[in-house]
Amino acid sequence: MSRVWAVAKNSFVSAMRMKTAIVFMLLLIILLPIMSLTTTGDGTIKGRIQSFITYGLGLTSLLLSILTIVVSCHTLSAEIKHKQIYTVVTKPVRRYQLILGKVLGIAVMDIILLAVFATIIYALSVQMPKFAKTTPEELAELNAEFFTARASLKMTVDQQALDERVQQVFNNLKNTGQIDENKSKQQILKELKDAARYSMFSAEPGGMVIWEFHNVKPFDSNEMLFIRLKFNATQIPPDNLLYGVWYVGDYRQVQFSHDKAKSPIYAVPRKDVAKTVREFQVPADAVADDGYLAVVFFNEPANNSTLIFSEDEGLEVLYKAGSFTANYIRAVIVVFSRLVFFAVLGVSLTTWLGFPVAILFCFVVFFTGVVNGFVVTSFDYVGESLSILYSFTIKPLLWLLPKFDENYNINKYIIDAKLINAAFLSFALVSLGIKSVILLLAGFIIFAKRELARVIV
Amino acid sequence: MAVTNEQYVIEAVSLTKIFADWWGRSRVVAVNNVDLKVRNNQVFGLLGPNGSGKTTMLKMLLGLLHPTKGRAFILGGDSKDTRITSQIGFLPEESYLYPYLNARETLDFYGRLFGLNSKVRKARIDVLLDMVGLSGMASRPIGTFSKGMARRIGLAQALINDPKLLILDEPTSGLDPIGTRQIKDLIVELARRGKTVLLSSHLLADAEEVCDRVAILYGGIVQKEGKIEELLEQKDKTQITSTVLSERTLEQIRRIVEKDGGEIEIKPPMQKLESYFIDIVNQAQKAKKYTSGAVNTFDASDAQRAAAMSNVLDKLVAAKVDAQKLEKVEAPAVVETEKTGADLNVINQLAQGSEIQMPEPVEPVKKPENIHVQDEIKKNILDELTKSEENKNE
Repeated sequence: MSRVWAVAKNSFVSAMRMKTAIVFMLLLIILLPIMSLTTTGDGTIKGRIQSFITYGLGLTSLLLSILTIVVSCHTLSAEIKHKQIYTVVTKPVRRYQLILGKVLGIAVMDIILLAVFATIIYALSVQMPKFAKTTPEELAELNAEFFTARASLKMTVDQQALDERVQQVFNNLKNTGQIDENKSKQQILKELKDAARYSMFSAEPGGMVIWEFHNVKPFDSNEMLFIRLKFNATQIPPDNLLYGVWYVGDYRQVQFSHDKAKSPIYAVPRKDVAKTVREFQVPADAVADDGYLAVVFFNEPANNSTLIFSEDEGLEVLYKAGSFTANYIRAVIVVFSRLVFFAVLGVSLTTWLGFPVAILFCFVVFFTGVVNGFVVTSFDYVGESLSILYSFTIKPLLWLLPKFDENYNINKYIIDAKLINAAFLSFALVSLGIKSVILLLAGFIIFAKRELARVIV
Repeated sequence: MAVTNEQYVIEAVSLTKIFADWWGRSRVVAVNNVDLKVRNNQVFGLLGPNGSGKTTMLKMLLGLLHPTKGRAFILGGDSKDTRITSQIGFLPEESYLYPYLNARETLDFYGRLFGLNSKVRKARIDVLLDMVGLSGMASRPIGTFSKGMARRIGLAQALINDPKLLILDEPTSGLDPIGTRQIKDLIVELARRGKTVLLSSHLLADAEEVCDRVAILYGGIVQKEGKIEELLEQKDKTQITSTVLSERTLEQIRRIVEKDGGEIEIKPPMQKLESYFIDIVNQAQKAKKYTSGAVNTFDASDAQRAAAMSNVLDKLVAAKVDAQKLEKVEAPAVVETEKTGADLNVINQLAQGSEIQMPEPVEPVKKPENIHVQDEIKKNILDELTKSEENKNE
């Protein structure tokens, strides 16, 4: 291990004494404070901080990724090219230790740089409200909607239960001879399923819709639950307002008629406009001890209209599930895992490629990672005609590519104050970890087998 | 198990290296079926002109190149074994150091690669920097060093593990005469201490002075190998060196030799340019003239120099006494491998297994036989021309 550290220290020193590292550091040191002063966002203090964090963290992650790619592609290839490798591999160092040391050195550099710049961004964004004229209301809004980490809950339909129910209905219809002979079984089942889904998320006058959630873990039961809703109505009244009562709490207590309610059930009568996202709050102690929460909507008969909630966007429960600081640290860890991936990629590639080819390849991987969704979809489209060939060749390669876009875009989580939960974090780390290990092993094998001396006669 | 005098420290059996181009065509045979045996405590010189395969040979021994055919054993094992590499010091043909590290950091890095603890590292680095005359420049980046100064760091790097076997590729290239002299003294002293040295060189005077045994390579083939005295001894001559003699004594000697039927030539012996040069530089150093280059405190006489070098090496080894990892540093010299002694039968089978296609010998350009015929033709033409001129005159 001491040998790995020796190599790591050497590659770290090399990177720090290379002027590229200094240039990137200077760029960040100059750009970050300027950005904190000049970003405007949508004009509000929340918007300013949001855009500062987006650009600041985005820029840091971009520049450090580029720096990591440059350094990792350079460190080993330069040693092979300038033959310093001769005196290193003839020492009692195994070749895999050399590769590990290189990666470790770059990782240490990334840890230091990322820690410094992430701290600067954090400190600046936390201080920003103090420098602007911020009203207490704005500050409260900031704390509730930005300097927090909220978990978001959407109900997932139990597909199996749904299928079973649909099958049961189908059997009933069949037994009573009500099946339309002109339609195939598949078609009928699909229609029945759609109808079941519709009825699950729509309430006739006097009817109700139930959303159930499990494993709800509020950060603090004194905090609030934010309930976002959006519905459509079959008949819109002249004043546009539709009435209903929302019950939030442990619905099982009602179902099984316990004598004494353990946790409170909050009843919130509301009048809302259709087709618009609305939000209301209830105290978080509505969640049962075992993490169960139900939201029940009761449609007032006076509306004389059926209210329809969409399955995806009809109802969302947000609650504070962590602190902003912890969430920010998780985001930085995800960024760090990406940097390590690029360090591994660069070093592994240069076990058999020269600097220019390796760096080109790394940048291709980096930018396809940023637009991964697009690339994968377009390849999927092309691949349909060559399905077998495609699924055994390009598809595994595409899987090796990292994904930084859409759902994997870490910036979005911070801006929406969305909790980076342990599942997401571990998925990000494990998937990149597996890819890195595969690359590392390939690098070990190639490097152990190759001739390091050049052909000179 | 320690290396005994009977054992070979380096043993290469029909070692061959063929370089092919990308398509596998137009091959160049850099080393061709070389058998090489270096005994313990020998100073062995690989001599040869440029491109004769010396460096390729060393690279194969060290595992930097894979032999096309044959096998090499080094300290009785494989060059990939870390227990073996921990006992080897290697100085490549150029120093190949990290330009961004300074001299001390460089040596520290290599010391760490050997797993030496910080105490030993520090002590040895001090001794080595002093030895190569770069103590004053320990914190200057290597990138600013001249070739010879970098070479000195390269040498220090090769000695940091107190190696049992030292492999030096062109050790004196790029060094000034003092550095050259020092390396030669060092090699002699190391040999006296039971180390083995394998060096390649095309500077024959240097090799002649230090090597016990040499192999002369040409075209990747060992042309001649043997003890240096045996190879160079002129069996038909006798050399007598004495203090200055009077004219009368010389005359007497001449008469005796002639009476015996021999030939004699009498002249004062010439000083070597090397020792003359060292004298001059020493005088300048004693006068404390300024230099930004390497500074060696250097004694003129062989005995003094040998003593000084011995002293340096003592200090170098002494650093090990403090070492906590004494056992580890002093790892057994020979690691048992499946085939320690080269099983010649197996090796021969191996060697015959892959038939090596030699590049087709280029047909020597045949001297055109009709060349004088052409001359005759030309003569004829000239004759005719002159004739025609004569005709004109007529």
